[in-house]
Amino acid sequence: MNDEPRPTSSRRGLVTAMIGAVMTAAAAISTSVFRGGQAKANGNSSEPGTKERKVQYGMVIDVRRCIGCHACTVACKSEFDVPPGVNRSWVEYVEKGVYPNVGRSFLPRLCNHCSEPPCVSVCPTDATWKREQDGIVVVDSGLCIGCKYCIQACPYDARFLNPVTNVADKCDFCIHRVSQGLTPSCVNTCVGGARIFGDLGDPDSDISKLIARNQVTVLRGEMGTLPNVYYISADHTDEIDAGRPEVRKVEVITHRRDKKRR
Amino acid sequence: MGGELTWGLPVILYLFLAGVGAGVGTVSASVLLRGGGGGFGGDHFRLARIGALLSPLPVIVGTTLIVFELGQPSRAFNLFKVINLSPMNIGSWLLLVFICTSVLYALAFLPSFMPEMKHLSDRLERVRRGFAWVNVPMGIGVAVYTGVMLGAMPSRPLWNSPILALLFLISALSTGVAAIILLRAIFRRKSADPATEQGYHQSAYLLTASDVMLIGFELMVIFLFIMFAHLTIGNMKYAVSIILPGGDMAMMFWVWVVLIGLLLPGLAELAYVLPRLLYHRHYAAPVAVEVLVSIGVLIGGFMLRYVIVVAGQVTGPMGI
Repeated sequence: MNDEPRPTSSRRGLVTAMIGAVMTAAAAISTSVFRGGQAKANGNSSEPGTKERKVQYGMVIDVRRCIGCHACTVACKSEFDVPPGVNRSWVEYVEKGVYPNVGRSFLPRLCNHCSEPPCVSVCPTDATWKREQDGIVVVDSGLCIGCKYCIQACPYDARFLNPVTNVADKCDFCIHRVSQGLTPSCVNTCVGGARIFGDLGDPDSDISKLIARNQVTVLRGEMGTLPNVYYISADHTDEIDAGRPEVRKVEVITHRRDKKRR
Repeated sequence: MGGELTWGLPVILYLFLAGVGAGVGTVSASVLLRGGGGGFGGDHFRLARIGALLSPLPVIVGTTLIVFELGQPSRAFNLFKVINLSPMNIGSWLLLVFICTSVLYALAFLPSFMPEMKHLSDRLERVRRGFAWVNVPMGIGVAVYTGVMLGAMPSRPLWNSPILALLFLISALSTGVAAIILLRAIFRRKSADPATEQGYHQSAYLLTASDVMLIGFELMVIFLFIMFAHLTIGNMKYAVSIILPGGDMAMMFWVWVVLIGLLLPGLAELAYVLPRLLYHRHYAAPVAVEVLVSIGVLIGGFMLRYVIVVAGQVTGPMGI
């Protein structure tokens, strides 16, 4: 919740930890409740004009330019050595309709770095938080206990338990690249230029202009998560739409181990 | 349906076992405090004692299960380095306190087994009552938090209901009562003393009548849970359809949870409770009935957690 380096998993003795925790319990409860209230108050007053964050990194995915080549998936895999079977970034195919009236579209996916991240509010160890300086939602792999609560809470299925480290893992907008002034690896590699990365807090950035001038959508906006990944021309068809007479047949290919969206 | 379960059998078992243990602890403590339990040899003292001795066991077993279900079991103590408003964090603290106080509460009953330690046991009465006062709110807290934890996420529409926590609480109390009935029936030794026999049936009536009431409440809460989910257009209606007739888990829910877990045991208990309640007849349920009924309730309690936890994970928000 601040810029200071987070403590990694110090292996304090059981007794020390317990005594310390109990002693600071009362104080910490009041502080955290107070902080929660304060955050709410800030959120309410963050109507246009008042500034809440200086920088909020975000992404626009222009689906018209996506050719479904999975270059972003592969670049992300190699950038982070993401183990087999799990993905920080992936591309879904959506096929709908019955011949001859059929369509196929692509839906590149990644963490939405939400402004109201449900994963953060459920984390019992404060191991995940939204960075003040750039709005990136990060995981401290030293504090995470692998309880998978955040994986349940994410409406986008963007989180997974890393089978090698056994802690929660997800896209972090390539912090190591972005902090050096580079673009995330998936943006860098996208052959069609479908991924546009930038600062949503700056009205003059390319990404802000793009959002202002185009019809954009977000995924599952009704969840109230305020995602910071926008889509242009995305097809939001889901398998449930197969029940509609004008669609009749929908096949979503997630290219993930979990074959279905959840 | 399909896909892997993020929270599988260990978590489901934990939710069930923690509920049983918290329910047993709450029931035992309430009976000691307000059931005329009184001192050594009081009417319901034995009932409170058997509950006190049982209560920590399922909670500790369940907690062990989820600790080893963690990706990093060795880091479980990270939970106690912070206090935040995550239901899991608050629940962990409640669980920690409840495990400690329920173990101490159980220990305070041990001297009562040895007649030569009657003095010590009498002196511990105040200690028992003290821990009982702590165990009631802590037991309720542990039972409620499991439902709050599941209910805190819009991404899981089936769970995202304020009444789920109440459902888990009532199920915890009901399975707690059933566990005490089962244990008493198993360890029952027929006594030649009519007063002892009378006391056994007196406590059995208290338990069975409470269970009938709890089962009635639970059926009502299940009805409200399903009805309001079904009447909501959108995610919740879509999610709840999995346990409604025609849904993939409907049979499991209606047969195992509602029929075997609630309706049949509730009706059987009612058949034995009503004559005493209406006509002040002598209450004496056969041991076989007590065993069958309590096993039914316990199976129902487990299947409730199973169906809710699995159904909540294989359904999600509509659309993308």
